[in-house]
Amino acid sequence: MFTEKAIKNADACRFCWMCRHVCPVGLVTGKEINNARPKGLLVSMEPRGIPLDEYGMGTMYECCLCKACTNDCVTGYDPPVYILEARTKAVVEDSLPKNVRKVLDRALEGSMYQDSPDEKLTVRIKELPEKAEVLFFIGEIGRRSGSKVAQAYMDLLEKAKINYTSLTDEPTSGAQLGELMGHVEDVRNRASFCMERLSGIGAKTVVVLDPTDCAFFKHECAEWGILPNLEFVTATEYMWNLIKDAKIVPGKKEFSATYHDPCRLARDLEETEPARKIMEAMGIKLKEMFLNRKLTKCCGGALLHQNYPEMSKTVTEGRWGDVSWAGEKMLVTACPACAVHFQDTVPKGMESEDLFILLNSVC
Amino acid sequence: MEKKAFMVNMIQSELEDAVGVDNVSMDPAEMFTYGVDYFWISRMWVDKGLEPPKPEFIVRPKDAKEVSKVLKIANYYKLPVHTWGGGSGSQGSALPMTGGIILDVKRMNRILDYSEVSRTITAESGAIFQHVEWYANERGYSIMHIPSCLTCGTVGGALAHRGIGIMSTKYGKIDDQCISLEVVLPNGDIINTLPVPKHAAGPDLQQIFIGSEGTLGVITKAVFKLVEIPECRKFRAFLFKDFSDGLAACREIVQKIKPSIIRLFDEAETVSIIKKVIGMERKGSFMNLAVEGLEEIVDIEMRYIFEVCSKYGGEDMGAEYGEKWYENRITFFYPGHIMNNPQMFGTMDTVATFDNIEKIYWAMKHAVEDNFEGVKFIAHCSHWYDWGTMIYDRFIVDNPPEDPEEAIRLHNQIWNEGVRAAMENGGVINDHHGIGLKLSRLMKEQYGPAMQVLEGLKKSLDPNGIMNPYKLGL
Repeated sequence: MFTEKAIKNADACRFCWMCRHVCPVGLVTGKEINNARPKGLLVSMEPRGIPLDEYGMGTMYECCLCKACTNDCVTGYDPPVYILEARTKAVVEDSLPKNVRKVLDRALEGSMYQDSPDEKLTVRIKELPEKAEVLFFIGEIGRRSGSKVAQAYMDLLEKAKINYTSLTDEPTSGAQLGELMGHVEDVRNRASFCMERLSGIGAKTVVVLDPTDCAFFKHECAEWGILPNLEFVTATEYMWNLIKDAKIVPGKKEFSATYHDPCRLARDLEETEPARKIMEAMGIKLKEMFLNRKLTKCCGGALLHQNYPEMSKTVTEGRWGDVSWAGEKMLVTACPACAVHFQDTVPKGMESEDLFILLNSVC
Repeated sequence: MEKKAFMVNMIQSELEDAVGVDNVSMDPAEMFTYGVDYFWISRMWVDKGLEPPKPEFIVRPKDAKEVSKVLKIANYYKLPVHTWGGGSGSQGSALPMTGGIILDVKRMNRILDYSEVSRTITAESGAIFQHVEWYANERGYSIMHIPSCLTCGTVGGALAHRGIGIMSTKYGKIDDQCISLEVVLPNGDIINTLPVPKHAAGPDLQQIFIGSEGTLGVITKAVFKLVEIPECRKFRAFLFKDFSDGLAACREIVQKIKPSIIRLFDEAETVSIIKKVIGMERKGSFMNLAVEGLEEIVDIEMRYIFEVCSKYGGEDMGAEYGEKWYENRITFFYPGHIMNNPQMFGTMDTVATFDNIEKIYWAMKHAVEDNFEGVKFIAHCSHWYDWGTMIYDRFIVDNPPEDPEEAIRLHNQIWNEGVRAAMENGGVINDHHGIGLKLSRLMKEQYGPAMQVLEGLKKSLDPNGIMNPYKLGL
């Protein structure tokens, strides 16, 4: 069932512990199974006559797919390759843990989230033009619990007098579905549909709010050859360009803070500086936190949050520990999922805010 | 004693009561993964599709009080307890060879205290050593315990097997770097060793538990000394005609100054591993070193090193190879660089006085190469003392027997020959990887009548024999 590539990676990882120190899940749970090595060991047993059973498949969902392990490996091995294939196996063999099954069913229906898109945001989007040069792709969480982030970004676009629109019936990118079941045909079809919708707006640029979606577009969709001839840009990079071009002139918000690099932005998209430059432009004094930039720790993961909310919360709390370690009380981040997770777990005496909400407040 | 019907669930409930429901597991997938550490036989076993040893319960306590509760339960039910930190040990010490409980300490991972004045840091035994180092580094200090397992090994693991890091020649082994311990005894009593390691209050309690590999109790907390990150660190590499010349040069160096790193490779390792990782393609005996501290002193020490190396015909290879070795010091251990199955391999590290070490090198080399056809032997010396050095010698079998029992037989025979060759010539059973399961059978040979001291301790502290059975010869 596993591809040669997956087994090659699993064989490499099964006896190696070297990335243990960067796994955000293992570091907070203390569970041996929560890092790349044991997952690789279990997958590696499949061609050796001990197939991955339902218990093993279940453990594969206790992972953020944040690629901290991939980033650490000096010889270029990639644990998410076999973790994703193990998830595919779980789906094919109907061996998902019950809670994961529910999340997958929702995702197949439309979105993995239980709540509906925010009404106010939906109404606001309906008032946007049908076609425009810039398409603002908000994403699942940005339309729901992260809608304040989306609204702030839209405010900024309007302040910059950008001719933009967004889709009222924005389809899901397929990113979260892909993380649930592996990058299989169903996911490709979902992504293809999304790409078709994006192509029909007449936009030249797609500004993507959620780094998970943007990474999925730029990697998986590109690999499948379904990426339309549009410029896909992260919300942070686009906003920094607006500031550089003086279309957005930030006021000063002089306080000190630390910044959490969203893992998909820092590692998958290799982007770390635009957010920092935006903060600098606002006069925020940045104190770097433990494990920053490409070494960043995941905030708890949107999908992990759906599958195992308590585990995800513990991972987020672990990251708050790093904020304390930095000696700061204010945490800034630039991803709607990170913003929601940090807001939901903010310790007493500390604060967390999304970068675009902060920027909007001074423009 | 056999546990019938729902007895397992009764014990499970009691353990859950002690540490919380979420921190006890009997999940088959989790249990499978505790059956493999870095011990070659455990790796070979699963590589051949065989079921590894598994515990009956996985328990994850959060502090010494919870460890105490677990050990009391284990004693009552006579359940073996195997302490598991990073699981990256090479000797099979953490493997649950008798079922029972895996006591995974990784929930105990906090840094508890730091003193700028005393230059100490306190961490729980489940903390990954890299994290403790990073914390210290941010403040301008280091424990200077930099082993290859820095990113995966725990504080407790390093202490339990009396580990060592690459900087040991200057900064000492883990037993030199540790100031005090908190330990939970097998009967559940929580004790502390004295708050400082130097005193005249009887035998050193700390040294009883360091290196005890989970057989005498569970280390839960440790205090380490910190040193200032040096003003400078300078590297150099030299190439000697042969291992003997290199050994003489290194002895003369370390008996006058203390480089932080000094590693001498025999020709076999020079033309294989060194060539592969840092690209140096020459024959002979490669040596790289680092000197660090106040720059003025470093420069004086480096001048002395040049004089000594020149005296023994060492060719200056510049700073580049030394720096490259340091940059790649962890790279050696990633897949693709490190030895891997199906190869059979082992590190038969030993330590001895300078009078004996060269004799031991040749004795071990012959013991392996003369008795086992096709088995390669490579070695380097990496940790040095005023009185001697250790040899990090490895055997490699490219095509071991397919049959697992034959493979185990060959593996153990090579170990027996190599380690006995060391012991017969004044060496010891192991320098810094520990004993574990792998060398347990040779402990009585090593200690002779002195073994009764360790056995007496074991019997007194652990009368039910629950703590890590079959390990450490106890």
